[in-house]
Amino acid sequence: MSQTYLRQQTVFAASWPRLLVALPILTLLFWPCAGAAESSDSFAPRIGTVDWTLAETLLSLGVVPVGVAQTRDYQAWVGKPALPDEVVDLGLRAQPNRELIASLELDQFLLSPLYQTLEPTLSRMTRVTTLTTYRPEADLWQNLIDTTHEVARIAHRETRASKVVNEHRERIDQVRQQLPDNLPPMLVIQFIDSRHVRVYGKGSLYEMVMNRLGMDNAWTGSTNLWGYATIGIEELTAPGYLVLVDPIPIGVSDELDQNRLWQMLPAVRQQRLLRLPAVWSFGGLPSAVRFAESLGHALQTTPDTHASLKDS
Amino acid sequence: MTTLRLRMTPAPLCLCLALACTALGFAILHQALPGLALAMGDWLPTFATSQTDRMALAVVQYSLLPRITMSILVGAALGLAGVLMQQVLRNPIASPTTLGVASGAQLGLLVATLYAPGLLVFGGEWVALAGGGLSLMLVLSLSWRQRLAPVAVVLSGLVVNLYLGALSTVLILFNQEEFRGLMIWAAGSMAQNSWDDTLHLLPRLLVAIALAALLARPLKLLELNESNARSLGASVRQLRLTGLGLSVFITASAVSLVGIVGFVGLAAPAIVRLMGARTLGQRLIWAPVFGGLLLLTTDLLLLNYSGRLPSLVPTGAMTGLLGAPLLLWMIPRLALEGSPEGASATMLQAARTRAVRRLPQLMVVLTAAAALALFVSQSPQGWTLDGIDHWSAIAQWRLPRILAAAGAGILLALAGTTIQRITGNPMASPEVLGISAGTAIGLIVTIYLVASVSLPLLIVAGSVSAFVTLAILILLNRRSGFQADRLLLTGIAIAALFDPLRSIFLANGDPRIQQMIAWMSGSTYYVDMTMGLSAIVFAVIMMALTPLVARWLDLLPLGRATALGLGVRVNRVRLALLAMVAVLTAFATLIVGPLSFAGLLAPHMARMLGLSRALPHLLGAAMIGAILMVSADWLGRQMLFPQEVPAGLVSALLGGAYFMWGLRRH
Repeated sequence: MSQTYLRQQTVFAASWPRLLVALPILTLLFWPCAGAAESSDSFAPRIGTVDWTLAETLLSLGVVPVGVAQTRDYQAWVGKPALPDEVVDLGLRAQPNRELIASLELDQFLLSPLYQTLEPTLSRMTRVTTLTTYRPEADLWQNLIDTTHEVARIAHRETRASKVVNEHRERIDQVRQQLPDNLPPMLVIQFIDSRHVRVYGKGSLYEMVMNRLGMDNAWTGSTNLWGYATIGIEELTAPGYLVLVDPIPIGVSDELDQNRLWQMLPAVRQQRLLRLPAVWSFGGLPSAVRFAESLGHALQTTPDTHASLKDS
Repeated sequence: MTTLRLRMTPAPLCLCLALACTALGFAILHQALPGLALAMGDWLPTFATSQTDRMALAVVQYSLLPRITMSILVGAALGLAGVLMQQVLRNPIASPTTLGVASGAQLGLLVATLYAPGLLVFGGEWVALAGGGLSLMLVLSLSWRQRLAPVAVVLSGLVVNLYLGALSTVLILFNQEEFRGLMIWAAGSMAQNSWDDTLHLLPRLLVAIALAALLARPLKLLELNESNARSLGASVRQLRLTGLGLSVFITASAVSLVGIVGFVGLAAPAIVRLMGARTLGQRLIWAPVFGGLLLLTTDLLLLNYSGRLPSLVPTGAMTGLLGAPLLLWMIPRLALEGSPEGASATMLQAARTRAVRRLPQLMVVLTAAAALALFVSQSPQGWTLDGIDHWSAIAQWRLPRILAAAGAGILLALAGTTIQRITGNPMASPEVLGISAGTAIGLIVTIYLVASVSLPLLIVAGSVSAFVTLAILILLNRRSGFQADRLLLTGIAIAALFDPLRSIFLANGDPRIQQMIAWMSGSTYYVDMTMGLSAIVFAVIMMALTPLVARWLDLLPLGRATALGLGVRVNRVRLALLAMVAVLTAFATLIVGPLSFAGLLAPHMARMLGLSRALPHLLGAAMIGAILMVSADWLGRQMLFPQEVPAGLVSALLGGAYFMWGLRRH
């Protein structure tokens, strides 16, 4: 599955001067542990991770991790790129099974700051690196690129990293070119129950993608550290498009039929309702591209009417 | 003084709240409909001109007004349910949540979401009602043999709550993403989008009020003592069942619609009583009125100010947060009918010398459990018996957590035994006393404020908050001489702060949920060898020191007067013992989190084995605590391999099952 990204045509572009600067520094930093594996793609380190964003990034680079936490939930919530069957389920993300990890004889374990409490215990069996992608202050797109390069370095796939990054950038640019200018602002939401939604704002993957596509986010209210806020549907009164990201909890679409307030919302009355397939909301480059492409697709086909909310 | 009190009524307080509500309500309306101005009479037909205006009107019509109505109805329903329950159980701190109705409803919804989502299409309220009803039946069947005596019912309710809560937590731990919606429900959001819920609840509430009016006279008889009531021809058991049933029905109808709303059911009856509503009739009238106004005020305040917060603060959790300090303030003012002397009778069964033989038996069981936990495990290839060749894995991963689990089990059991003997209350435990909860509050706040937490930071935060909690406990109870019931009430109030904080955290779908739940439910995961060793060494030292306090703990349950007569300086001894309990609990909580329940269950189990004198009771409970935690840790690692279920949760499930079985047999 992950190979599809690599087979696509790639363009060699702008980010390699950055690499030229970064590589010597990184090499110096990690000299003591670089050892035998001098950045040759043929040597594939055995990598495990508890973070789905990093797992997704690994797969996008064509690296299959040996173990990932909660593999079944990964399939449900991240979906693509799909995890091959041979990937070992490490248990809970917050508390992966250490005896199991030890028995896998990993070369590297990747963490995100969310799971930093695992660092001391895991570093007793393997080298552990913590990668920060979601930082409130910095530019998320640049973070995603940096994470991809960093993961590539750890997985000895440096040469592929720039290709993969460019390819993803290209695909988003392509979507942008096909879209009309002056699109109205969008509210991106995920249903929690029939009364509440998560709305994504500053610092979220969705807003970053919308901005790259030249659209504005209609949600300007405050968000938490992870770029979303939980609100009631009575706050969705902004004009413009309403973008629903799957999954919609069971029973909710039936209740919305009888929900007078929902029916009155400007986006619902003007049939500016877009329903997108599930995309991991804290994802990496592949998730960003998937969101961009499905949003572009939805905008170009006839906007969904309310009735189509029910068809899944 | 007494005449003044007799003349007091809750009317002025209710009037104040009603005025505040009106002011807040108009402020919000004005904000929502700037064009409304003063022409209240004819705004509806002429208003809806532009599209933005029409939307604003729709928000008022389908969201704001139903929300205000629902707040009043739900508050009234919970207030009424609380009065009935407190009357039936003759217990001023009983409330619908005490009997497991809310936790049963929640578990029902969780299970339905996972395994039978089709049921939810027909409406979650029926699932919630079934869950609440079933858990109530469980509570009643556990206390049936004791003629549904108040203490027995509340105790059964507590255990069922712990048990169902632990089951729910396991499900949430492994299905965090699926339960986003239910987490908001569990925190009690009043958001409304139509009048459907109002039309659903209103007829039910009216029926309940009519039934309560019919029941008022017979229920009054319960204020007499039991034999008198029976001689007047009332079937006490039937009366209690009817009262409880009605109360649960109202609670479930309200809770299934908006979610769990903390504290109103407990506070409304208690506060109107303090304000002078003495008779049952008065309380039946004032508690629903006050409950409705209380919930409405909270909700309107939140509507006004919560827009500035990035987090969703659901109303149900907010009432809980506001309520806890109020409860702390109320405790010294509550007239409590002292129950401890009666309860202590159960603790003083004739000392059975033969029971001491149980101790070596327990030692054998503990050794067996430890051996099992060290050498038997699951791997991707299936079950294995690991020998010396696996020694490095055993020493590195299993030994520390087994030592820590055993240590924590011993410490909690010692703390629990001590506190149960001091207070003479079978429900007392470090968890109930609020020290575990206090520690957890400190940790939850730390995790919430700091994006990436480290273990040393957690340890510091945990210890500090444990001692702050202890200081509060001591400060509030010094005057009453650490009287048992007040102490427990203070603990319950502190613990009541913890639940809403947890609910708010969960309702916001914070990505750190899993980590936090895992830790909160008593995980030995992060323990290393140093921590494991220090836990077990500390525990063994404390066990060795138990003979020093054994005499006090033999005498204190005899009652204050007797103990004083036998030369025990009761107040000072209680203070010293309490400080000891706090230290033991803080240490154990840092290792296995606040929800392990070993401190509640181990002393009971030891007594069920016939260990009733203080020293054997302490030692037996300590060993049972260790057995419980070690086997829970092992089972937790194997049950859902490679997933690890936290030891605290497993011990609550194991211990809870045994405890319920013991209660039934009693």
